[in-house]
Amino acid sequence: MGEPAVAATVTDDTQARQTVLLVDDNATNLQVLYQTLRDLGPRVLIARSGESALSIARETVPDLVLLDIMMPGMDGYEVCRSLKGEPATRDAAVIFLSALGDTGDKVRGFGLGAVDFISKPFQGEEVLARVRTHLKIRRLERDLSARNRRLEAQQRHILESMGEGLFGVDGGGTIIYANPAALRITGRELEDLEGADLFDADWLETSGDESGRCLMRDAILGESARPCEHEGVVRRPGGAGIEVDFSAAPFHLDGAVRGAVMTFRDVSRRKRAEIELKTAHDALLKSHMELRHAQDRLVQAAKLESVGRLAAGVAHEVKNPLAIIQMGIDYLKVAQRSPGDPGSQVLADMEDAVARADRVIRGLLNLSREQVARTAPADLNEVIDKSLGMVRHELTQHNISLDTDLQPGPATTLLDVPKIEQVLINLFMNAVHAIGRDGLLHVSTRTVDLTEEVVYEAGIGNVFGAGDRALVLEITDTGTGIPEAELERVFDPFFTTKPVGKGTGLGLSVTRTIIEMHRGAIELRNRSRQTGVRVTIYLQTHESDKT
Amino acid sequence: MTKRRILAVDDEAGLTRMIRLNLEATGRFEVREENFGAHALEAARDFRPDLILLDVMMPDMEGSEVAAQLKEDPVLKTTPVVFLTAIVTREETASTGSEIGGHTFLAKPVKAAELIACIDGELGGR
Repeated sequence: MGEPAVAATVTDDTQARQTVLLVDDNATNLQVLYQTLRDLGPRVLIARSGESALSIARETVPDLVLLDIMMPGMDGYEVCRSLKGEPATRDAAVIFLSALGDTGDKVRGFGLGAVDFISKPFQGEEVLARVRTHLKIRRLERDLSARNRRLEAQQRHILESMGEGLFGVDGGGTIIYANPAALRITGRELEDLEGADLFDADWLETSGDESGRCLMRDAILGESARPCEHEGVVRRPGGAGIEVDFSAAPFHLDGAVRGAVMTFRDVSRRKRAEIELKTAHDALLKSHMELRHAQDRLVQAAKLESVGRLAAGVAHEVKNPLAIIQMGIDYLKVAQRSPGDPGSQVLADMEDAVARADRVIRGLLNLSREQVARTAPADLNEVIDKSLGMVRHELTQHNISLDTDLQPGPATTLLDVPKIEQVLINLFMNAVHAIGRDGLLHVSTRTVDLTEEVVYEAGIGNVFGAGDRALVLEITDTGTGIPEAELERVFDPFFTTKPVGKGTGLGLSVTRTIIEMHRGAIELRNRSRQTGVRVTIYLQTHESDKT
Repeated sequence: MTKRRILAVDDEAGLTRMIRLNLEATGRFEVREENFGAHALEAARDFRPDLILLDVMMPDMEGSEVAAQLKEDPVLKTTPVVFLTAIVTREETASTGSEIGGHTFLAKPVKAAELIACIDGELGGR
């Protein structure tokens, strides 16, 4: 057979066909092996020396090498060591051919990475069986590693394509992996992140302080580690913060926590949307409240209008007879000159009755009329003092103590003083009637920057908005209060909680009309902790009135 | 001292009577009652009052119409007119200086003393 042509046998189908390299210095041995394997299927190459074997192996990357141990020059062990030492040939399976039955040599061969031994002289069947088996193993190994590589590539592709940022940390919290999204969201390079402690990262702000981080580390990597979710902010190098939701899950190996995977998602857009949604919702709520209020006022206005028509008619019909009675009394008074005459008292009582009837009619007319406040800058505190002076006698008589807490300095704003006096006296007298006997009347003024809550709760959204400044007048009494069911109706014309003959039912309607003429608002509610009523009047401040 | 002549025009006979009794009780006034707006001009021409008390709302003729007729009369156009009204409230007459459209208004019910004070005020300068 002579020196076989080696490289010439290389065919194109190296991928599909396996290659076996026969290495022996003995031509007869080579021939026997060659003939044995020729029809098995794989490409068979031969080398007559160790050196030649290495050069062929480097070029052809055989799957299997049948390697004689005892060769002149480079022996089989050395060839094996060289093959295993080079990446290109490392994976080739080596079967030693040996006449030696020595166990020590076999151990040495396995130590160098051999997979099997074939004893000389060769038994054809044995050679075939062993070669076939190892080629099969080799093929399976190859398939497996190719599949692994493909799988790894797929996994890497998945991780790299994720929209969420992903970190892998080891059991100590050190970052061992960061996907491209993680780099993008944090605005950092891989080398800035890898090897750093994730829970110490200065670019990650989590809900809670340092102890929060410890808790988080413990929750994710501690003994009782379990998946968890957090919100946080990722601080980018420029200082801009990105709101993120992150979730972390520990991974276990052999029953212990070996690390964790943390994914996080940029939620700043969602948060912005949430804020916009909330703003829109609030605006809707506000306009809804305003609408409801406007509707209430319309109903009220309709009531007032009908009252107004009635009032004008009634006024004319009643005032003429009243005028006659009044002047009749006046005429009779001139004749009744002696003070001791009981007739004088009769006339005085009649005159009082006329005045009372006139008040009712006047109230009706005031209420029904679209009136305009004639305002000028005035000190509300002064008006309160003056009005209190007018009811002082009533307070003393009913043993009601007075407690005033007026804003220091003048509380100057635009007021129609006679009308505000009318309002105050009306409210003070309501308090006196509600208390009856022994109690406390508290009057306070202060300037307040209104919050949204106050605006909503007081139902004054049609006049004031959050952030507006208001001059607030509060009158509280320790009286009986008003049944909750009737609270809504207190501003209705002719509604009264007073006994028949004690009230016209117009006081609060007129009061509200006057306050609204001042572009103010009035709220009446029962006090929360004690019995009694608290009336709160919100007036424009002088400076806000200028605008 | 000559008595001042007052013409009281109101469809309420009871009221014009009370006005007359109260004013005449002072001894300073002579009062003529007229209960029809439509007759007011005629009565005024005949009576030549120093001052006319005029109800605003009368069934046959509005007070403002009567006032317009008086304005056209060469003699009566300078005669002061005080309106009596049931619709205007006391606060309104007080806060506008009792003047609406150049006329003095008194809100019913008016006390005799106020009426007399008002008339004296109107006639004071004459």
